[in-house]
Amino acid sequence: MSGDEDVEQKGFEQFQRFLDEWSRRDFLKGLGATGAWFAFSAGVVEFLDACASASTTTSQTGKKGGHVVEGAFSDVRTFNSMLSSDTASNQVLGLMFDGLLNSKKNGDLVGALAQDLPKTSSDGLTYTFKLRPNLKWSDGQPLTADDVVFTYQLGYDPQYKDFASPRRGDLSKYIASVTAPDPQTVVVTTTQVFAPFLVSHGQYGILPKHVLGSLSGKDLNTAPFNSAPTVSNGAFKFVSWQSGQQVTLARNDTYWAGPALLDQYIYKVLPDSTTVADQLKTGEIDIGPVDPSQFDSVKASGNTNIIEFPVAIFDFYAYNLDPTKLGGKLFAQKEVRQALVYALDRQSWVQAIYFGHASVATSVEPPTSWAFKAKPQVVYTFDVAKANSLLDGAGWVKGSDGIRVKDGLPLRFEMHTNAGNKQRESILQVMQQSWKDIGVDATPKLIQFPQLVTEIVSTRTFDVFLVGFSWGQDPDESPLFHSRNAAPGGFNGADFKNADVDATLDAALTTLDQNKRKQLYYHFQDVMSDQVPAPILMFNKGIWATSKRVMAADFGTYNQFGNRPWMKDVWVTDGK
Amino acid sequence: MLVKFIVRRLFASVVVVLGVTAVTLFLMDRTRGAYVPGIDLNPALRPEDIARLRADLGLDQPFYVWYVNWLWNVMHGDFGRSMIDGSPVMTHILERLPNTLELTLTAVLIGIVLSVPLGVIGALRRGTKTDHSLTIFSVAGFAVPQFWLGLMLILIFSVTFEHNGWPWLPSGGVTSPFGGGDLGDRLLHLIMPATVLSFFYLSLWSRFTRSSMLEVLSQDYIRTARAKGMSERRVVYLHGLRNALIPLVTLIGLELPGLVSGGLVVEVVFSWPGLGRLAFERALQYDYTTVMGVVFFTTLLVVAGNLLADILYAILDPRIRYA
Amino acid sequence: MDMPGGAFEGESHRPAQSYWNESWERLRANRIGVAAGVLLLVFALIALAAPLFSQFVTHFDPTRQHLLDNFRPPGRPYLLGTDELGRDTLTRLIYGGRVTLGVAFLTVALSLSLGSTVGLLAGYYGGWLDDVLMRIVDVFLAIPAIFLFILMSILFRPNAITLAAIIASVGWGGVARLVRGEVLSVKQRDFILAARTIGARDVRVIFRHLLPNVLPVLIVAASLGVGQIILIEAALDFLGLGIQPPTPSWGNMLTNAESYFFHSTWLVVFPGITIFLTVLASNIFGNAVRDAFDPRLK
Repeated sequence: MSGDEDVEQKGFEQFQRFLDEWSRRDFLKGLGATGAWFAFSAGVVEFLDACASASTTTSQTGKKGGHVVEGAFSDVRTFNSMLSSDTASNQVLGLMFDGLLNSKKNGDLVGALAQDLPKTSSDGLTYTFKLRPNLKWSDGQPLTADDVVFTYQLGYDPQYKDFASPRRGDLSKYIASVTAPDPQTVVVTTTQVFAPFLVSHGQYGILPKHVLGSLSGKDLNTAPFNSAPTVSNGAFKFVSWQSGQQVTLARNDTYWAGPALLDQYIYKVLPDSTTVADQLKTGEIDIGPVDPSQFDSVKASGNTNIIEFPVAIFDFYAYNLDPTKLGGKLFAQKEVRQALVYALDRQSWVQAIYFGHASVATSVEPPTSWAFKAKPQVVYTFDVAKANSLLDGAGWVKGSDGIRVKDGLPLRFEMHTNAGNKQRESILQVMQQSWKDIGVDATPKLIQFPQLVTEIVSTRTFDVFLVGFSWGQDPDESPLFHSRNAAPGGFNGADFKNADVDATLDAALTTLDQNKRKQLYYHFQDVMSDQVPAPILMFNKGIWATSKRVMAADFGTYNQFGNRPWMKDVWVTDGK
Repeated sequence: MLVKFIVRRLFASVVVVLGVTAVTLFLMDRTRGAYVPGIDLNPALRPEDIARLRADLGLDQPFYVWYVNWLWNVMHGDFGRSMIDGSPVMTHILERLPNTLELTLTAVLIGIVLSVPLGVIGALRRGTKTDHSLTIFSVAGFAVPQFWLGLMLILIFSVTFEHNGWPWLPSGGVTSPFGGGDLGDRLLHLIMPATVLSFFYLSLWSRFTRSSMLEVLSQDYIRTARAKGMSERRVVYLHGLRNALIPLVTLIGLELPGLVSGGLVVEVVFSWPGLGRLAFERALQYDYTTVMGVVFFTTLLVVAGNLLADILYAILDPRIRYA
Repeated sequence: MDMPGGAFEGESHRPAQSYWNESWERLRANRIGVAAGVLLLVFALIALAAPLFSQFVTHFDPTRQHLLDNFRPPGRPYLLGTDELGRDTLTRLIYGGRVTLGVAFLTVALSLSLGSTVGLLAGYYGGWLDDVLMRIVDVFLAIPAIFLFILMSILFRPNAITLAAIIASVGWGGVARLVRGEVLSVKQRDFILAARTIGARDVRVIFRHLLPNVLPVLIVAASLGVGQIILIEAALDFLGLGIQPPTPSWGNMLTNAESYFFHSTWLVVFPGITIFLTVLASNIFGNAVRDAFDPRLK
């Protein structure tokens, strides 16, 4: 379908994780997204709501004053919520610009600028938000529904078509109108019932109309505001950005939830996870993500509290199923695709590659999702005998060199992943070995991240690729598996086209009844486990360390990066 | 004759700069394929969006057309905007250049300050154990990968020292993120990276000083000075060292053009926001304009430095003008 | 570096001969230098014989993983321990030497051949040929080398051979300049003029008279070059651009091990020491050759 760019906005934000893996020597950065996790998460240290948690929330009252430095892998690119699509930008601008809604760590939506969740009309097409009273921008100007309307118009209204918002595809598809019947009310009407609408599109940072309203769409792309916001409505406001080094934010006293306890928040850019680990140990940074390989040494240094929790971030590989490509010829039979998964001893990877900080994926949905089915139709254990017999049965016979051949075509291909991610580099090599043992010749190839993205999204010049991704709060997985996203520009790099899956996903999107959706997603997981166009290998863990002087940092499955409503409550024991 | 020489050199320099930038662009163009810089920022691009972006960025033109356009802009001082985030390239360069210079100049300084004594002592104590150990030391410094040395120093002086409660050195960056910025803070951050970088110069220059010193000391006029009854100290330092240092100055001068790019690995290890690191990170993202800008700028400095050196030589040594 | 023309002018038409003998004697007297040279040779031989080593000494394949045996300390049966995927370090070190030293020697060979050819031609013929060739050399010398390596590695993600070609493409310029300088100073010597007067063809003059005098410079350059290239390869690996896994090279073994430094320190030690010793040896040997062939430092 030409001209079809429909990628769910949520899938988009999830892609920012996918994208964000580019930095050199960047190990698993623990990407967060929005999503839902529930109590059945594999017995890891969990942060439950409000009450006692392991380390940072205490019964002490917060002291005002002081700063925290957070280490991160990527520099921000923009502070404009309607332009950003990478984790770093979303994380930092999220501290300056609240949206209508925000998320709790378990994925539940809460009101932010909006007083509460919106009223939904009975036909599911209209959402009515009531803004909190007396909202102000940091310059004292009132924040009204006009600002909200303006922000969304940037994404869907034709008058802003020159504004290069990555949201445009989704917003113009799903939004029929956004209006402000009075300064405290916003009414959003969608073109169709879209279950993940609030989760995907209700959390954008609201931008100031009184500052940006006079600019044309084209000028907005390069507006100075995007790199130095002059006003904000969130917990912090902008102070400075030294590109490639750090962003400095200061407390915003006009924040609707009350002023933050910290005076300053500093976002420091570091090249890789070893540096982050080193600086966590020396105390040069107060907060930072911890790579599984650094976990033990950071813990042993004793300077930090470490939090670990399940997340909907995962490593997966995909077969190129396009019939005109090599992959299409090799992997057309599902027996082949299944056999390759059976040949992988993923349980051993948990310790060997992830140092214990991951879990084997049994389904395409993450264990943290309400739609998770622990035992779908096909469960893949490590079974070399089965792998061999499946391949034999499919007509792939071992040749004299040990490599399987069918109709003169050897089962030989390349696997691509991006250079700089240790876990994935290791996985590729382990896969190569495991598959060699069953007569499959797979060669690993490391390429730069932008190249990998281009291959997956645009040119499809791969046989197999391995990459990380993350799911959002909603169980919809159309970005990866719906056939409409197989067109260039979509993330369905595997070119997977299955009518049953399409129908199931579509149906699940157009109903708001969670039970009905759950049944549909159960069926979806069954089909996916049988078809395995893109086997999901491991679900990662979010691992964060905070220095002992940092209190009340409340990291959780969906409160890692862009959604941090708890940041305003963070305080430091030494007040410095 | 001198003018003609300078003109020829100038012309050659221009050719060099053009050549370098053309080669760079050619390399980047060769392999980008269907890639659109910034696609990782905006993956939801429809085919028509991709086409439009490529047209905007001029990527659908043959590379020589793009090159000429770019060159024309550069002549007017416009280095263009980054393909990734649209920020002006010149801004990035100007931001980062001082950092790189700070690092490399300090390294050169440390190199000089340490090489001269090491070289002199080696020459004076030639053949002794001291000489041998100094040689080994300077050669050893040259034998470790820079990144490894840097990482080891961080490990020792940052992580381990801090762990043991001793005064420790910061592990990266130009200044402390909070409350830093004063001279002391900057110096603290500068010590380790500059030292690592200086090892390279140290090895080269201490050996050179030594051999230069040896050569000078074997000259006739030194023997004359000694015969005249001058104290050994005066002989060595007044006559010997002064003359030995002249070629060293030349050698140091040769390094100056490389100052802008030489610190790349050190910049990466110590998260130093310099030009080298900028070019590297942007190259990984296929951000043509920024990479071209940095390469052009760096090459310009290199060529200008060489040109200056050549002209100075020509002034000092008339034979060269006729070469 | 001057060539000692004066003392040998009264000699036969092969003035280089006894100069060589003298220098060779000087080199042999430098025991540390000789030791360094021997070390290089030994490493090279071991690397060449890698498959034999793997078959008879360590009994492991360099890329075979033993996931359950990862991060083992040195001991039996993994003499130097295993890495993060359970591969035997010693075997990888030897095969890695093959790659790293292979790249180094190949690069040296390439850059010396190209560089000396250009340098000889430019120096001998002079004139417009010299101008053109040297301008080309200037272009290559002016490119900040590390930028070029990075660019090329990003774009081509090289294997050992293309990596050698890439590094050589930058290094040959320096060699060309060096050789040209030598040629210029030797060109004026009497024996060259004599040879040309009696009508010796250019090719003969270049190969029989100029080249032998240029050879010491080349040997020094080669020796020092090997060390430098090993370091460059390691730096590229550090930046994520060098030899692709699972092929081992000393550089990528060292870089890999850095992430696990606290976890398994010896993983860093072995490739680190190997690189250090090899580069040190190449530096010492190169300096020894230079000293031996430079009579000024008597």
